[in-house]
Amino acid sequence: MRSIVQYTHPRSTSLLPSFGFAVRSPWRGLESEIDRWFESTLSDFMTPAFDQRFPVDLYEDKDNTYVRAELPGVNRDEINVELVNGYLTISANRKTHGQEGEESFALSRSIAIPEDVHADKVGAAYENGVLTVTLPKKEEAKPRKVTVEIK
Amino acid sequence: MSRIQNLIPSITRKPAEREDNEPTVRPWYEVKETPEAWGLTVYLPGVAKEGLELAAEEGVVTIRGRRGWKAPAGWTALYRESADAPYELALTHDNTVDVEKIHAELKDGILRVSLPKAEAIKPRKIAVN
Repeated sequence: MRSIVQYTHPRSTSLLPSFGFAVRSPWRGLESEIDRWFESTLSDFMTPAFDQRFPVDLYEDKDNTYVRAELPGVNRDEINVELVNGYLTISANRKTHGQEGEESFALSRSIAIPEDVHADKVGAAYENGVLTVTLPKKEEAKPRKVTVEIK
Repeated sequence: MSRIQNLIPSITRKPAEREDNEPTVRPWYEVKETPEAWGLTVYLPGVAKEGLELAAEEGVVTIRGRRGWKAPAGWTALYRESADAPYELALTHDNTVDVEKIHAELKDGILRVSLPKAEAIKPRKIAVN
């Protein structure tokens, strides 16, 4: 993989407290150089294109549990969502057009779902490369107020 | 105290405004070379055309992507692996790319950009007398 001449590294990961005499800390240049070296060394091992696991976010509100998975570049028909025994398994096939023709790469991840779920009412939507799975909670799992009488 | 402030005025001066105040994340990208152009693939999950800016100036191609989705009120995050920060990627090409002919396509969170090589750097045969 030949990369274009030299790439800059604009990532600013810190909101540095800026003292009066240096709006940019004099170490910033060095920090970003070192970040770049580490990234280029380690990045070949962990690239999203060849990593079987993809980032997943878990949210909830009082009626549903939501799972958002980052799956860019996958066809809707190639995504499988299965719910088995309280584990949600998302698997997908990503097709890339390499030099040899089409290459297929399998992605898969299982997440434990915290609450009891109405298995037949699970819905999913895929937009802009992000899959959102909505899992409606069973009545017992919804937060309820229980008053306890003290004798 | 004011004497110290006079000697070192920077103590009381407010820090200057910085342009890039928000942290950004660099997206995963890959560059493949063909004899005619460079093909750039950038993974930008969650970014739609409205949130995407692609600019080429002074020998640098800059891509900025902002996610269009915000968690609705009432959602609590139990476990997060992705970041809310916008994506930013800047690649220096030093005028080896013909910026007029750059062609980009965003589909399903993947941005594919074709960067045709400038005429000046294409290999050419030189006739010898």
